[in-house]
Amino acid sequence: MSDEWNIVVCVKQVPDADDVSIDPETGRLNRSDAAAVLNAPDYNAVEAALELREAVDGTVTALSMGPPTAEAVLRVAVGMGADDGVLLSDPAFGGSDTWPTSLALARAADELDADVVIAGEESTDSSTGQVPPGIAAHNGWAQLTYVEGLEPAPGEDRLVAKRDVEGGYERVAADLPVVVAMGFGENEPRPAGLHRKIYAESDFEPETWTAEDLDVEDEVGLSVSPTQVGGMDTADPVPREQEVVEETDELAEQIAEVL
Amino acid sequence: MPGGDSGVDVEEYDDVWVFVEQHDGEVAGVAWELLSKGRDLADEREENLVALVMGENLDETGIPEACLARGADRVLVADDPVFEPYRSDPYGEQFRYLVEERKPAIALIGGTHTGRDFAGRVAVPNHAGLTADCTELEMANDRYEMRRPAFGGDALATIICPDHRPQMSTVRPGVFPTAEPDDDREGEVVDVAVVVEEDETMTEVLEREVGDVADITDAEIVVAGGMGVEGDFEPLWELADVLGGTVAGSRDAVEEGWIEPARQVGQTGKTVRPDLYIAAGISGAIQHLEGMDDSETVIAINTDPNAPIFDNADYGIVGDLHEVIPELIAYFSEDRQEVPA
Repeated sequence: MSDEWNIVVCVKQVPDADDVSIDPETGRLNRSDAAAVLNAPDYNAVEAALELREAVDGTVTALSMGPPTAEAVLRVAVGMGADDGVLLSDPAFGGSDTWPTSLALARAADELDADVVIAGEESTDSSTGQVPPGIAAHNGWAQLTYVEGLEPAPGEDRLVAKRDVEGGYERVAADLPVVVAMGFGENEPRPAGLHRKIYAESDFEPETWTAEDLDVEDEVGLSVSPTQVGGMDTADPVPREQEVVEETDELAEQIAEVL
Repeated sequence: MPGGDSGVDVEEYDDVWVFVEQHDGEVAGVAWELLSKGRDLADEREENLVALVMGENLDETGIPEACLARGADRVLVADDPVFEPYRSDPYGEQFRYLVEERKPAIALIGGTHTGRDFAGRVAVPNHAGLTADCTELEMANDRYEMRRPAFGGDALATIICPDHRPQMSTVRPGVFPTAEPDDDREGEVVDVAVVVEEDETMTEVLEREVGDVADITDAEIVVAGGMGVEGDFEPLWELADVLGGTVAGSRDAVEEGWIEPARQVGQTGKTVRPDLYIAAGISGAIQHLEGMDDSETVIAINTDPNAPIFDNADYGIVGDLHEVIPELIAYFSEDRQEVPA
Protein backbone atom coordinates (compact mmCIF):
# COMPACT_ATOMS: atom_id res chain seq x y z
CA MET A 1 0.00 0.00 0.00
CA SER A 2 0.95 3.60 -0.38
CA ASP A 3 1.83 5.90 2.54
CA GLU A 4 -1.53 7.56 2.28
CA TRP A 5 -4.58 5.44 2.89
CA ASN A 6 -7.33 5.21 0.33
CA ILE A 7 -10.46 5.09 2.42
CA VAL A 8 -13.71 4.20 0.68
CA VAL A 9 -16.97 4.76 2.53
CA CYS A 10 -20.08 2.96 1.28
CA VAL A 11 -23.32 4.89 1.51
CA LYS A 12 -26.84 3.90 0.52
CA GLN A 13 -29.92 5.86 -0.33
CA VAL A 14 -32.97 4.46 1.44
CA PRO A 15 -36.64 5.42 1.72
CA ASP A 16 -37.21 7.79 4.58
CA ALA A 17 -40.48 7.05 6.25
CA ASP A 18 -42.13 3.82 7.25
CA ASP A 19 -44.75 4.28 4.54
CA VAL A 20 -42.97 2.37 1.82
CA SER A 21 -45.36 0.36 -0.29
CA ILE A 22 -44.82 -3.03 -1.85
CA ASP A 23 -45.39 -3.42 -5.56
CA PRO A 24 -48.22 -5.97 -5.74
CA GLU A 25 -47.06 -7.14 -9.19
CA THR A 26 -43.45 -7.90 -8.39
CA GLY A 27 -43.49 -8.19 -4.61
CA ARG A 28 -40.52 -5.88 -4.44
CA LEU A 29 -40.26 -2.69 -2.47
CA ASN A 30 -41.65 0.30 -4.24
CA ARG A 31 -39.02 2.87 -3.41
CA SER A 32 -40.35 5.56 -5.74
CA ASP A 33 -43.01 7.03 -3.51
CA ALA A 34 -41.06 7.72 -0.32
CA ALA A 35 -38.59 10.49 0.36
CA ALA A 36 -35.04 9.23 -0.11
CA VAL A 37 -32.35 9.86 2.45
CA LEU A 38 -28.92 8.61 3.50
CA ASN A 39 -29.24 5.34 5.43
CA ALA A 40 -28.93 6.39 9.09
CA PRO A 41 -26.18 3.89 10.07
CA ASP A 42 -24.07 5.20 7.17
CA TYR A 43 -23.56 8.51 9.00
CA ASN A 44 -21.48 6.52 11.49
CA ALA A 45 -19.51 5.04 8.59
CA VAL A 46 -18.77 8.47 7.11
CA GLU A 47 -17.73 9.81 10.51
CA ALA A 48 -15.42 6.83 11.08
CA ALA A 49 -13.88 7.33 7.62
CA LEU A 50 -13.22 11.02 8.27
CA GLU A 51 -11.71 10.29 11.69
CA LEU A 52 -9.51 7.62 10.13
CA ARG A 53 -8.33 10.07 7.47
CA GLU A 54 -7.41 12.56 10.18
CA ALA A 55 -5.38 9.89 11.98
CA VAL A 56 -3.48 8.32 9.09
CA ASP A 57 -3.53 10.81 6.19
CA GLY A 58 -5.28 9.80 3.04
CA THR A 59 -8.42 10.40 1.08
CA VAL A 60 -12.03 9.47 1.63
CA THR A 61 -14.10 8.48 -1.40
CA ALA A 62 -17.81 7.93 -0.95
CA LEU A 63 -19.20 5.02 -2.96
CA SER A 64 -22.83 4.27 -3.64
CA MET A 65 -24.89 2.07 -5.90
CA GLY A 66 -28.36 3.01 -7.03
CA PRO A 67 -30.38 5.01 -9.52
CA PRO A 68 -29.01 8.39 -10.74
CA THR A 69 -30.88 10.15 -7.92
CA ALA A 70 -28.72 8.28 -5.40
CA GLU A 71 -25.98 10.81 -6.07
CA ALA A 72 -27.75 12.84 -3.38
CA VAL A 73 -26.24 10.61 -0.67
CA LEU A 74 -22.77 11.13 -2.14
CA ARG A 75 -23.38 14.86 -1.74
CA VAL A 76 -24.26 14.29 1.92
CA ALA A 77 -20.98 12.44 2.43
CA VAL A 78 -18.98 15.09 0.56
CA GLY A 79 -20.74 17.78 2.58
CA MET A 80 -19.56 16.06 5.77
CA GLY A 81 -16.02 16.03 4.41
CA ALA A 82 -15.47 13.19 1.96
CA ASP A 83 -13.04 14.16 -0.79
CA ASP A 84 -14.82 12.56 -3.70
CA GLY A 85 -17.72 10.34 -4.68
CA VAL A 86 -18.46 7.55 -7.15
CA LEU A 87 -21.92 6.31 -8.07
CA LEU A 88 -22.45 2.84 -9.51
CA SER A 89 -25.54 3.29 -11.60
CA ASP A 90 -26.84 1.16 -14.42
CA PRO A 91 -30.23 -0.40 -15.14
CA ALA A 92 -28.32 -3.69 -15.26
CA PHE A 93 -27.92 -3.50 -11.45
CA GLY A 94 -31.68 -3.43 -10.91
CA GLY A 95 -33.07 -6.17 -8.67
CA SER A 96 -29.66 -7.28 -7.43
CA ASP A 97 -29.69 -9.08 -4.10
CA THR A 98 -26.76 -8.84 -1.71
CA TRP A 99 -24.50 -11.17 -3.74
CA PRO A 100 -24.23 -9.06 -6.92
CA THR A 101 -24.51 -5.82 -4.95
CA SER A 102 -21.46 -6.68 -2.90
CA LEU A 103 -19.69 -7.84 -6.07
CA ALA A 104 -20.14 -4.49 -7.80
CA LEU A 105 -19.06 -2.58 -4.68
CA ALA A 106 -16.07 -4.91 -4.26
CA ARG A 107 -14.93 -4.31 -7.85
CA ALA A 108 -15.31 -0.57 -7.39
CA ALA A 109 -13.37 -0.64 -4.10
CA ASP A 110 -10.61 -2.55 -5.86
CA GLU A 111 -10.68 -0.06 -8.74
CA LEU A 112 -10.30 2.74 -6.18
CA ASP A 113 -7.28 0.90 -4.74
CA ALA A 114 -8.92 0.90 -1.32
CA ASP A 115 -6.92 0.19 1.81
CA VAL A 116 -9.98 0.43 4.02
CA VAL A 117 -13.66 0.19 3.05
CA ILE A 118 -16.07 1.43 5.71
CA ALA A 119 -19.81 0.75 5.63
CA GLY A 120 -22.71 1.14 8.04
CA GLU A 121 -23.90 -1.82 10.10
CA GLU A 122 -26.88 -2.49 7.85
CA SER A 123 -29.44 -0.63 5.78
CA THR A 124 -32.73 0.40 7.30
CA ASP A 125 -34.73 -0.80 4.28
CA SER A 126 -33.33 -4.34 3.92
CA SER A 127 -31.63 -4.89 7.31
CA THR A 128 -29.43 -7.77 6.19
CA GLY A 129 -25.94 -6.53 7.11
CA GLN A 130 -24.70 -8.91 4.41
CA VAL A 131 -23.08 -6.44 2.05
CA PRO A 132 -19.94 -5.50 4.05
CA PRO A 133 -18.86 -9.15 4.58
CA GLY A 134 -19.84 -9.76 0.96
CA ILE A 135 -17.49 -7.04 -0.28
CA ALA A 136 -14.67 -8.51 1.81
CA ALA A 137 -15.37 -12.04 0.59
CA HIS A 138 -15.51 -11.07 -3.09
CA ASN A 139 -12.09 -9.44 -2.82
CA GLY A 140 -10.59 -11.95 -0.40
CA TRP A 141 -10.01 -9.14 2.10
CA ALA A 142 -10.30 -9.15 5.87
CA GLN A 143 -13.52 -7.96 7.50
CA LEU A 144 -14.41 -6.33 10.80
CA THR A 145 -18.13 -6.06 11.56
CA TYR A 146 -20.07 -4.55 14.50
CA VAL A 147 -17.17 -2.19 15.10
CA GLU A 148 -17.35 0.09 18.14
CA GLY A 149 -14.19 2.01 17.33
CA LEU A 150 -11.08 1.97 15.17
CA GLU A 151 -7.56 2.22 16.56
CA PRO A 152 -5.53 3.40 13.57
CA ALA A 153 -1.77 3.02 13.72
CA PRO A 154 -0.26 5.18 10.95
CA GLY A 155 2.48 3.42 9.05
CA GLU A 156 1.26 -0.05 9.97
CA ASP A 157 -0.22 -2.26 7.32
CA ARG A 158 -3.03 -3.31 9.56
CA LEU A 159 -6.00 -1.82 11.34
CA VAL A 160 -7.13 -2.64 14.87
CA ALA A 161 -10.82 -2.44 15.76
CA LYS A 162 -12.86 -2.96 18.87
CA ARG A 163 -15.84 -5.15 17.95
CA ASP A 164 -19.07 -5.64 19.80
CA VAL A 165 -19.65 -9.31 20.52
CA GLU A 166 -22.67 -10.41 22.51
CA GLY A 167 -21.94 -9.83 26.15
CA GLY A 168 -18.63 -8.08 25.62
CA TYR A 169 -16.10 -6.99 23.07
CA GLU A 170 -13.01 -8.11 21.27
CA ARG A 171 -10.09 -6.23 19.75
CA VAL A 172 -9.06 -7.59 16.38
CA ALA A 173 -6.17 -6.61 14.13
CA ALA A 174 -6.80 -7.03 10.42
CA ASP A 175 -4.36 -6.86 7.53
CA LEU A 176 -5.08 -4.25 4.87
CA PRO A 177 -7.12 -4.05 2.77
CA VAL A 178 -9.99 -4.49 5.19
CA VAL A 179 -13.75 -3.95 5.12
CA VAL A 180 -15.20 -2.35 8.25
CA ALA A 181 -18.88 -2.31 9.20
CA MET A 182 -19.37 0.34 11.89
CA GLY A 183 -21.89 -0.41 14.61
CA PHE A 184 -24.92 1.86 14.44
CA GLY A 185 -24.63 4.80 16.82
CA GLU A 186 -21.04 4.08 17.84
CA ASN A 187 -19.77 7.60 17.08
CA GLU A 188 -21.11 11.14 16.78
CA PRO A 189 -21.44 12.04 13.10
CA ARG A 190 -20.30 15.59 12.45
CA PRO A 191 -22.62 18.12 10.80
CA ALA A 192 -21.73 19.28 7.30
CA GLY A 193 -19.61 22.43 7.25
CA LEU A 194 -21.33 25.34 5.52
CA HIS A 195 -18.77 25.90 2.75
CA ARG A 196 -18.32 22.19 2.21
CA LYS A 197 -22.07 21.78 1.96
CA ILE A 198 -22.37 24.51 -0.64
CA TYR A 199 -19.58 22.83 -2.64
CA ALA A 200 -21.22 19.42 -2.29
CA GLU A 201 -24.56 20.68 -3.51
CA SER A 202 -23.35 22.89 -6.35
CA ASP A 203 -19.88 22.32 -7.81
CA PHE A 204 -19.27 18.70 -6.85
CA GLU A 205 -19.99 16.22 -9.63
CA PRO A 206 -19.72 12.53 -8.75
CA GLU A 207 -18.31 10.09 -11.25
CA THR A 208 -20.72 7.45 -12.49
CA TRP A 209 -19.59 3.92 -13.31
CA THR A 210 -21.66 1.34 -15.14
CA ALA A 211 -21.70 -2.44 -14.84
CA GLU A 212 -19.59 -2.59 -17.97
CA ASP A 213 -17.02 -0.21 -16.48
CA LEU A 214 -16.62 -2.75 -13.67
CA ASP A 215 -16.78 -5.72 -16.02
CA VAL A 216 -19.65 -7.25 -14.06
CA GLU A 217 -22.51 -6.84 -16.54
CA ASP A 218 -23.16 -10.59 -16.69
CA GLU A 219 -22.98 -11.07 -12.92
CA VAL A 220 -25.45 -8.49 -11.64
CA GLY A 221 -29.17 -7.87 -11.68
CA LEU A 222 -32.31 -9.69 -10.73
CA SER A 223 -31.92 -12.73 -12.96
CA VAL A 224 -28.54 -13.81 -11.57
CA SER A 225 -29.33 -13.02 -7.93
CA PRO A 226 -29.37 -16.24 -5.90
CA THR A 227 -32.40 -15.18 -3.86
CA GLN A 228 -35.72 -14.22 -5.39
CA VAL A 229 -38.93 -12.90 -3.94
CA GLY A 230 -41.36 -15.83 -4.14
CA GLY A 231 -44.36 -13.95 -2.85
CA MET A 232 -45.80 -11.47 -0.41
CA ASP A 233 -48.37 -12.29 2.24
CA THR A 234 -50.18 -10.18 4.68
CA ALA A 235 -48.99 -11.08 8.13
CA ASP A 236 -51.96 -12.59 9.91
CA PRO A 237 -52.44 -10.75 13.16
CA VAL A 238 -52.64 -12.93 16.25
CA PRO A 239 -56.19 -12.75 17.62
CA ARG A 240 -56.26 -10.61 20.75
CA GLU A 241 -58.95 -9.39 23.14
CA GLN A 242 -58.23 -5.76 22.19
CA GLU A 243 -59.97 -4.50 25.30
CA VAL A 244 -59.06 -1.00 26.38
CA VAL A 245 -59.68 -0.25 30.05
CA GLU A 246 -60.08 3.14 31.72
CA GLU A 247 -58.38 2.63 35.07
CA THR A 248 -55.01 1.21 36.04
CA ASP A 249 -56.69 -1.02 38.61
CA GLU A 250 -58.66 -2.77 35.89
CA LEU A 251 -55.43 -3.36 34.01
CA ALA A 252 -53.81 -4.67 37.19
CA GLU A 253 -56.68 -7.11 37.67
CA GLN A 254 -56.14 -8.50 34.19
CA ILE A 255 -52.42 -8.86 34.90
CA ALA A 256 -53.23 -10.60 38.18
CA GLU A 257 -55.33 -13.12 36.23
CA VAL A 258 -52.20 -14.23 34.40
CA LEU A 259 -49.92 -14.40 37.43
CA MET B 1 -35.73 -27.09 -14.28
CA PRO B 2 -32.77 -28.09 -12.12
CA GLY B 3 -30.15 -25.41 -11.92
CA GLY B 4 -31.85 -22.91 -14.23
CA ASP B 5 -29.15 -20.94 -16.02
CA SER B 6 -26.93 -20.62 -12.94
CA GLY B 7 -24.74 -23.55 -13.92
CA VAL B 8 -25.50 -25.19 -10.58
CA ASP B 9 -27.04 -28.66 -10.57
CA VAL B 10 -29.28 -28.27 -7.56
CA GLU B 11 -30.10 -32.01 -7.60
CA GLU B 12 -26.55 -32.73 -6.43
CA TYR B 13 -27.13 -30.92 -3.17
CA ASP B 14 -28.83 -32.47 -0.18
CA ASP B 15 -28.92 -32.44 3.62
CA VAL B 16 -29.69 -29.68 6.06
CA TRP B 17 -26.73 -28.13 7.85
CA VAL B 18 -26.70 -26.16 11.06
CA PHE B 19 -23.72 -24.00 12.01
CA VAL B 20 -23.19 -24.64 15.72
CA GLU B 21 -21.68 -21.42 17.03
CA GLN B 22 -19.50 -21.94 20.07
CA HIS B 23 -17.03 -19.81 21.98
CA ASP B 24 -14.63 -21.44 24.45
CA GLY B 25 -16.82 -24.53 24.58
CA GLU B 26 -20.04 -22.59 25.22
CA VAL B 27 -22.66 -23.13 22.53
CA ALA B 28 -24.86 -20.19 21.53
CA GLY B 29 -28.42 -21.23 22.44
CA VAL B 30 -29.72 -20.37 18.99
CA ALA B 31 -27.76 -23.34 17.60
CA TRP B 32 -29.97 -25.74 19.59
CA GLU B 33 -33.05 -23.93 18.31
CA LEU B 34 -31.80 -24.35 14.74
CA LEU B 35 -31.06 -28.04 15.24
CA SER B 36 -34.67 -28.50 16.39
CA LYS B 37 -35.99 -26.64 13.34
CA GLY B 38 -33.45 -28.33 11.07
CA ARG B 39 -34.61 -31.74 12.30
CA ASP B 40 -38.14 -31.01 11.07
CA LEU B 41 -36.88 -29.77 7.70
CA ALA B 42 -34.57 -32.76 7.25
CA ASP B 43 -37.38 -35.20 8.11
CA GLU B 44 -39.68 -33.56 5.61
CA ARG B 45 -36.99 -33.66 2.94
CA GLU B 46 -35.99 -37.22 3.93
CA GLU B 47 -32.42 -36.05 4.31
CA ASN B 48 -29.81 -35.97 7.05
CA LEU B 49 -29.39 -33.20 9.58
CA VAL B 50 -25.74 -32.24 9.81
CA ALA B 51 -24.21 -30.11 12.58
CA LEU B 52 -21.01 -28.22 11.83
CA VAL B 53 -18.80 -27.39 14.79
CA MET B 54 -15.53 -25.50 14.55
CA GLY B 55 -13.09 -24.77 17.37
CA GLU B 56 -10.21 -26.17 19.37
CA ASN B 57 -10.17 -29.30 21.55
CA LEU B 58 -13.84 -29.87 20.89
CA ASP B 59 -13.67 -33.48 22.06
CA GLU B 60 -13.22 -32.12 25.60
CA THR B 61 -16.36 -30.00 25.37
CA GLY B 62 -18.97 -32.69 24.73
CA ILE B 63 -20.44 -30.47 22.01
CA PRO B 64 -20.38 -33.08 19.19
CA GLU B 65 -22.32 -35.58 21.35
CA ALA B 66 -24.74 -32.84 22.42
CA CYS B 67 -25.41 -32.11 18.73
CA LEU B 68 -26.42 -35.75 18.20
CA ALA B 69 -28.70 -35.64 21.25
CA ARG B 70 -30.29 -32.51 19.83
CA GLY B 71 -31.18 -34.07 16.52
CA ALA B 72 -28.13 -34.23 14.26
CA ASP B 73 -27.51 -37.40 12.25
CA ARG B 74 -23.93 -36.39 11.58
CA VAL B 75 -21.59 -33.91 13.23
CA LEU B 76 -18.75 -32.44 11.22
CA VAL B 77 -15.94 -31.36 13.54
CA ALA B 78 -13.22 -29.02 12.33
CA ASP B 79 -10.79 -28.99 15.23
CA ASP B 80 -7.74 -26.75 15.14
CA PRO B 81 -6.27 -23.83 17.12
CA VAL B 82 -6.90 -21.66 14.06
CA PHE B 83 -10.65 -21.86 14.82
CA GLU B 84 -10.49 -20.52 18.40
CA PRO B 85 -11.58 -17.80 18.92
CA TYR B 86 -13.88 -17.23 15.94
CA ARG B 87 -12.52 -15.25 12.99
CA SER B 88 -14.39 -14.76 9.73
CA ASP B 89 -11.52 -15.56 7.37
CA PRO B 90 -10.46 -19.04 8.62
CA TYR B 91 -14.07 -20.02 9.34
CA GLY B 92 -15.12 -18.79 5.90
CA GLU B 93 -12.40 -20.66 4.07
CA GLN B 94 -13.11 -23.90 5.95
CA PHE B 95 -16.83 -23.62 5.29
CA ARG B 96 -16.23 -22.97 1.57
CA TYR B 97 -14.20 -26.16 1.38
CA LEU B 98 -16.79 -28.24 3.24
CA VAL B 99 -19.65 -26.98 1.06
CA GLU B 100 -17.68 -27.75 -2.08
CA GLU B 101 -16.88 -31.25 -0.80
CA ARG B 102 -20.25 -32.18 0.64
CA LYS B 103 -22.83 -30.02 -1.14
CA PRO B 104 -25.51 -29.22 1.45
CA ALA B 105 -28.92 -28.07 0.23
CA ILE B 106 -29.72 -25.84 3.20
CA ALA B 107 -27.60 -24.13 5.84
CA LEU B 108 -29.04 -22.52 8.97
CA ILE B 109 -27.00 -19.97 10.91
CA GLY B 110 -27.88 -18.10 14.11
CA GLY B 111 -28.47 -14.38 13.69
CA THR B 112 -25.92 -13.38 16.33
CA HIS B 113 -23.09 -10.95 15.56
CA THR B 114 -20.82 -13.92 14.95
CA GLY B 115 -23.40 -15.75 12.86
CA ARG B 116 -24.17 -12.75 10.69
CA ASP B 117 -20.46 -11.97 10.28
CA PHE B 118 -19.92 -15.60 9.20
CA ALA B 119 -22.98 -15.97 6.96
CA GLY B 120 -22.27 -12.84 4.95
CA ARG B 121 -18.76 -14.02 4.30
CA VAL B 122 -19.43 -17.65 3.38
CA ALA B 123 -22.39 -17.03 1.08
CA VAL B 124 -20.16 -15.31 -1.47
CA PRO B 125 -17.54 -17.91 -2.46
CA ASN B 126 -20.20 -20.63 -2.71
CA HIS B 127 -22.51 -18.31 -4.66
CA ALA B 128 -25.19 -19.24 -2.15
CA GLY B 129 -28.49 -17.53 -1.60
CA LEU B 130 -28.59 -15.93 1.83
CA THR B 131 -31.65 -14.53 3.59
CA ALA B 132 -31.29 -12.61 6.84
CA ASP B 133 -33.49 -12.73 9.92
CA CYS B 134 -35.98 -15.33 8.75
CA THR B 135 -38.98 -15.80 11.02
CA GLU B 136 -40.49 -18.81 9.21
CA LEU B 137 -38.76 -21.65 7.36
CA GLU B 138 -40.68 -24.41 5.69
CA MET B 139 -40.92 -26.86 2.84
CA ALA B 140 -43.87 -25.73 0.73
CA ASN B 141 -44.74 -25.84 -2.95
CA ASP B 142 -41.92 -28.37 -3.41
CA ARG B 143 -39.32 -25.87 -2.38
CA TYR B 144 -37.61 -24.35 0.63
CA GLU B 145 -39.39 -21.15 1.59
CA MET B 146 -37.86 -18.54 3.86
CA ARG B 147 -40.10 -15.83 5.23
CA ARG B 148 -39.14 -12.51 6.73
CA PRO B 149 -41.08 -9.34 7.43
CA ALA B 150 -40.83 -6.81 4.63
CA PHE B 151 -39.99 -3.24 5.40
CA GLY B 152 -42.68 -0.93 6.57
CA GLY B 153 -45.86 -2.93 6.29
CA ASP B 154 -47.94 -5.81 7.50
CA ALA B 155 -46.30 -8.02 4.93
CA LEU B 156 -44.18 -11.12 5.02
CA ALA B 157 -41.89 -11.68 2.06
CA THR B 158 -41.31 -15.25 0.95
CA ILE B 159 -37.74 -15.62 -0.27
CA ILE B 160 -36.75 -18.55 -2.43
CA CYS B 161 -33.46 -19.67 -3.87
CA PRO B 162 -34.32 -21.69 -6.97
CA ASP B 163 -31.03 -22.06 -8.79
CA HIS B 164 -28.25 -21.75 -6.21
CA ARG B 165 -27.01 -23.89 -3.33
CA PRO B 166 -26.78 -23.95 -0.44
CA GLN B 167 -29.91 -22.07 0.51
CA MET B 168 -28.74 -20.17 3.57
CA SER B 169 -30.84 -18.54 6.28
CA THR B 170 -29.93 -16.60 9.37
CA VAL B 171 -32.39 -16.73 12.25
CA ARG B 172 -32.39 -14.56 15.35
CA PRO B 173 -32.34 -16.21 18.78
CA GLY B 174 -35.71 -17.32 20.17
CA VAL B 175 -37.58 -17.55 16.86
CA PHE B 176 -37.80 -21.35 17.05
CA PRO B 177 -38.29 -23.39 20.22
CA THR B 178 -35.67 -25.87 21.41
CA ALA B 179 -36.63 -29.54 21.53
CA GLU B 180 -35.60 -31.64 24.53
CA PRO B 181 -32.29 -33.45 23.94
CA ASP B 182 -32.43 -37.22 23.62
CA ASP B 183 -29.20 -38.80 24.84
CA ASP B 184 -30.11 -42.12 23.22
CA ARG B 185 -30.11 -40.69 19.71
CA GLU B 186 -27.35 -42.13 17.57
CA GLY B 187 -25.31 -40.64 14.81
CA GLU B 188 -21.78 -40.20 13.58
CA VAL B 189 -19.10 -37.71 14.48
CA VAL B 190 -16.74 -36.99 11.59
CA ASP B 191 -13.43 -35.19 11.96
CA VAL B 192 -12.99 -33.24 8.76
CA ALA B 193 -9.75 -32.13 7.14
CA VAL B 194 -8.67 -28.64 8.18
CA VAL B 195 -7.74 -26.60 5.12
CA VAL B 196 -6.68 -23.35 6.81
CA GLU B 197 -3.19 -22.52 8.05
CA GLU B 198 -2.59 -19.88 10.70
CA ASP B 199 -0.05 -18.04 8.56
CA GLU B 200 -2.65 -17.61 5.82
CA THR B 201 -5.05 -15.73 8.09
CA MET B 202 -5.62 -12.01 7.74
CA THR B 203 -6.77 -11.26 11.27
CA GLU B 204 -5.58 -11.64 14.84
CA VAL B 205 -7.75 -11.45 17.95
CA LEU B 206 -5.72 -9.36 20.39
CA GLU B 207 -8.16 -9.40 23.27
CA ARG B 208 -11.56 -10.85 24.05
CA GLU B 209 -13.70 -9.90 27.04
CA VAL B 210 -17.08 -11.52 27.37
CA GLY B 211 -19.28 -11.57 30.42
CA ASP B 212 -22.71 -12.99 30.98
CA VAL B 213 -25.22 -12.15 28.30
CA ALA B 214 -28.76 -11.42 29.41
CA ASP B 215 -31.09 -14.08 28.05
CA ILE B 216 -34.68 -12.87 27.83
CA THR B 217 -35.91 -15.65 25.53
CA ASP B 218 -37.00 -17.97 28.35
CA ALA B 219 -38.66 -15.32 30.55
CA GLU B 220 -42.27 -15.95 31.60
CA ILE B 221 -42.99 -12.30 32.29
CA VAL B 222 -41.52 -9.51 30.17
CA VAL B 223 -41.91 -5.77 30.78
CA ALA B 224 -40.84 -4.04 27.58
CA GLY B 225 -40.32 -0.35 26.89
CA GLY B 226 -40.07 1.75 23.74
CA MET B 227 -39.71 5.41 22.81
CA GLY B 228 -42.43 6.34 25.30
CA VAL B 229 -40.05 5.46 28.14
CA GLU B 230 -38.11 8.63 27.31
CA GLY B 231 -34.83 7.40 28.68
CA ASP B 232 -35.52 6.04 32.16
CA PHE B 233 -36.13 2.31 32.34
CA GLU B 234 -36.02 2.25 36.16
CA PRO B 235 -39.83 2.04 36.61
CA LEU B 236 -39.91 -0.91 34.21
CA TRP B 237 -37.20 -2.69 36.19
CA GLU B 238 -39.21 -2.10 39.37
CA LEU B 239 -42.38 -3.44 37.82
CA ALA B 240 -40.53 -6.48 36.46
CA ASP B 241 -39.12 -6.99 39.92
CA VAL B 242 -42.49 -7.02 41.71
CA LEU B 243 -43.98 -9.25 39.02
CA GLY B 244 -41.01 -11.61 38.98
CA GLY B 245 -40.15 -10.92 35.35
CA THR B 246 -37.45 -9.36 33.25
CA VAL B 247 -37.08 -6.20 31.15
CA ALA B 248 -36.82 -5.83 27.40
CA GLY B 249 -36.86 -2.98 24.90
CA SER B 250 -37.86 -2.09 21.37
CA ARG B 251 -35.24 -1.44 18.72
CA ASP B 252 -35.68 2.31 19.20
CA ALA B 253 -35.00 2.01 22.94
CA VAL B 254 -31.87 -0.01 22.27
CA GLU B 255 -30.63 2.44 19.67
CA GLU B 256 -31.19 5.30 22.11
CA GLY B 257 -28.88 3.43 24.47
CA TRP B 258 -31.54 3.11 27.19
CA ILE B 259 -31.23 -0.66 27.39
CA GLU B 260 -28.66 -3.24 26.32
CA PRO B 261 -28.89 -4.81 22.84
CA ALA B 262 -29.23 -8.33 24.28
CA ARG B 263 -32.66 -7.27 25.58
CA GLN B 264 -34.02 -6.11 22.22
CA VAL B 265 -37.29 -7.74 21.17
CA GLY B 266 -38.25 -7.84 17.51
CA GLN B 267 -37.25 -9.05 14.09
CA THR B 268 -33.70 -7.81 14.51
CA GLY B 269 -33.54 -8.74 18.18
CA LYS B 270 -34.86 -11.61 20.24
CA THR B 271 -38.13 -13.44 20.01
CA VAL B 272 -39.88 -14.01 23.33
CA ARG B 273 -42.98 -16.06 24.13
CA PRO B 274 -43.81 -15.27 27.76
CA ASP B 275 -47.09 -15.80 29.61
CA LEU B 276 -47.31 -12.04 30.08
CA TYR B 277 -45.87 -9.31 27.86
CA ILE B 278 -46.33 -5.72 28.95
CA ALA B 279 -45.58 -3.25 26.14
CA ALA B 280 -45.03 0.20 27.62
CA GLY B 281 -44.58 3.13 25.27
CA ILE B 282 -44.16 0.80 22.30
CA SER B 283 -46.13 1.72 19.19
CA GLY B 284 -46.23 -1.86 17.85
CA ALA B 285 -44.50 -1.82 14.47
CA ILE B 286 -44.60 -5.16 12.62
CA GLN B 287 -40.89 -5.65 13.25
CA HIS B 288 -41.56 -5.51 16.99
CA LEU B 289 -44.67 -7.69 16.85
CA GLU B 290 -42.64 -10.41 15.13
CA GLY B 291 -40.62 -10.75 18.31
CA MET B 292 -43.50 -10.99 20.79
CA ASP B 293 -46.72 -12.10 19.13
CA ASP B 294 -46.40 -15.62 20.49
CA SER B 295 -46.88 -14.17 23.98
CA GLU B 296 -49.83 -15.62 25.88
CA THR B 297 -51.27 -12.34 27.15
CA VAL B 298 -50.24 -8.91 25.89
CA ILE B 299 -50.82 -5.71 27.86
CA ALA B 300 -50.37 -2.31 26.19
CA ILE B 301 -49.72 1.05 27.79
CA ASN B 302 -49.52 3.93 25.36
CA THR B 303 -50.48 7.60 25.18
CA ASP B 304 -51.56 7.25 21.55
CA PRO B 305 -54.99 5.59 21.29
CA ASN B 306 -54.29 4.86 17.61
CA ALA B 307 -51.02 3.02 18.24
CA PRO B 308 -51.12 -0.36 16.47
CA ILE B 309 -50.06 -2.07 19.71
CA PHE B 310 -53.66 -1.81 20.96
CA ASP B 311 -54.86 -4.02 18.08
CA ASN B 312 -52.23 -6.54 19.08
CA ALA B 313 -52.86 -6.49 22.82
CA ASP B 314 -55.40 -8.28 24.98
CA TYR B 315 -55.76 -5.44 27.45
CA GLY B 316 -54.63 -1.89 27.06
CA ILE B 317 -54.81 1.48 28.67
CA VAL B 318 -54.46 4.84 26.99
CA GLY B 319 -52.19 6.69 29.34
CA ASP B 320 -48.72 7.80 30.25
CA LEU B 321 -46.56 4.89 31.36
CA HIS B 322 -44.86 7.22 33.85
CA GLU B 323 -48.18 7.34 35.72
CA VAL B 324 -49.53 3.87 34.97
CA ILE B 325 -46.42 1.87 35.83
CA PRO B 326 -45.95 3.36 39.34
CA GLU B 327 -49.64 2.60 39.97
CA LEU B 328 -49.10 -0.98 38.86
CA ILE B 329 -46.01 -1.25 41.06
CA ALA B 330 -48.04 0.02 44.02
CA TYR B 331 -50.91 -2.38 43.24
CA PHE B 332 -48.71 -5.45 43.09
CA SER B 333 -46.54 -4.43 46.04
CA GLU B 334 -49.69 -4.22 48.20
CA ASP B 335 -51.05 -7.36 46.63
CA ARG B 336 -47.94 -9.22 47.67
CA GLN B 337 -48.24 -8.14 51.28
CA GLU B 338 -51.89 -9.16 51.45
CA VAL B 339 -51.52 -12.50 49.77
CA PRO B 340 -48.38 -14.34 50.83
CA ALA B 341 -46.99 -16.43 48.02
